[in-house]
Amino acid sequence: MSRQTKAFVKGVKVSERHGAGEWTAERLSSLILIPLVLWGLWGAATVAGAGYDGARTWVASPVNAALLAATLLISLWHANMGLKVIVDDYIHRPSSRSLLLGFIAVLCLVLAAASVFFIVRLALGSAPLPAGIGA
Amino acid sequence: MTHPNPTSGDARDDQTGRFVTQPNGHVRPLSPHLQIWRYHLTMAGSILNRIAAGALSFGALFVVAWLGAAALGPDAYAGFVAAMGSPLGLLIWFGVTLAAAYHLTAGVRHLIWDTGAGLTPKTATTLTLVSMVAAILLAVGFWIYLFASGKVSL
Repeated sequence: MSRQTKAFVKGVKVSERHGAGEWTAERLSSLILIPLVLWGLWGAATVAGAGYDGARTWVASPVNAALLAATLLISLWHANMGLKVIVDDYIHRPSSRSLLLGFIAVLCLVLAAASVFFIVRLALGSAPLPAGIGA
Repeated sequence: MTHPNPTSGDARDDQTGRFVTQPNGHVRPLSPHLQIWRYHLTMAGSILNRIAAGALSFGALFVVAWLGAAALGPDAYAGFVAAMGSPLGLLIWFGVTLAAAYHLTAGVRHLIWDTGAGLTPKTATTLTLVSMVAAILLAVGFWIYLFASGKVSL
């Protein structure tokens, strides 16, 4: 988009690039996380003190497994966006900023992949790791 | 500010670090850092919300570790529970609960502001106070329930 482009909605200047998309994504993820985090607190209270069998039984429920995966994936997406804002605010050297943002993005992706991997195994009632790997 | 409409020349000659040139060439004032602000409740609420966000990112590691321990089997899970049931472990989880509760209530407050509502100084301060009190009640109530029901003990 050209530098001269000025976008206005109801007389208010809005982003000419992707800023509005990030803003919307932050709000959308926040809205979805409100019920999910309250559900997560309830789930944590259920699992607390329930031991290994209690935890496995809880995650083995398809509803719990699906909601837990959604909560973690949307949380990590939201966290990645939020941490990016913090880094953009305080780290001014472009090379340091890129490096840190890359590290945060990779960490969030690894945590998301690990979460889904563990949840799927627990939901399917797989044998304890590493027994299932390669078998 | 003596430059209501700074030009890129101002940013180039700027010795104070107040301006930054955006990638599109626009000159914008840099957002002020923590030491610039005079204390008021909404400022404290905003800073605490960012701290809570950082704490929750840290807490996400522990949630994934919990899933990993469950996937690794009974022995790994027993070790995880023993570590997390220690005073330090319980303190970490209480911190995560408090951070989650405050990030939730402060986030709802922020979503209200995003609609354009509640932005007068008095209402904004009241909303911030409500979000803080609600977060403490939620987190402390949650842990009172955990201890009272015997799910957690020291």
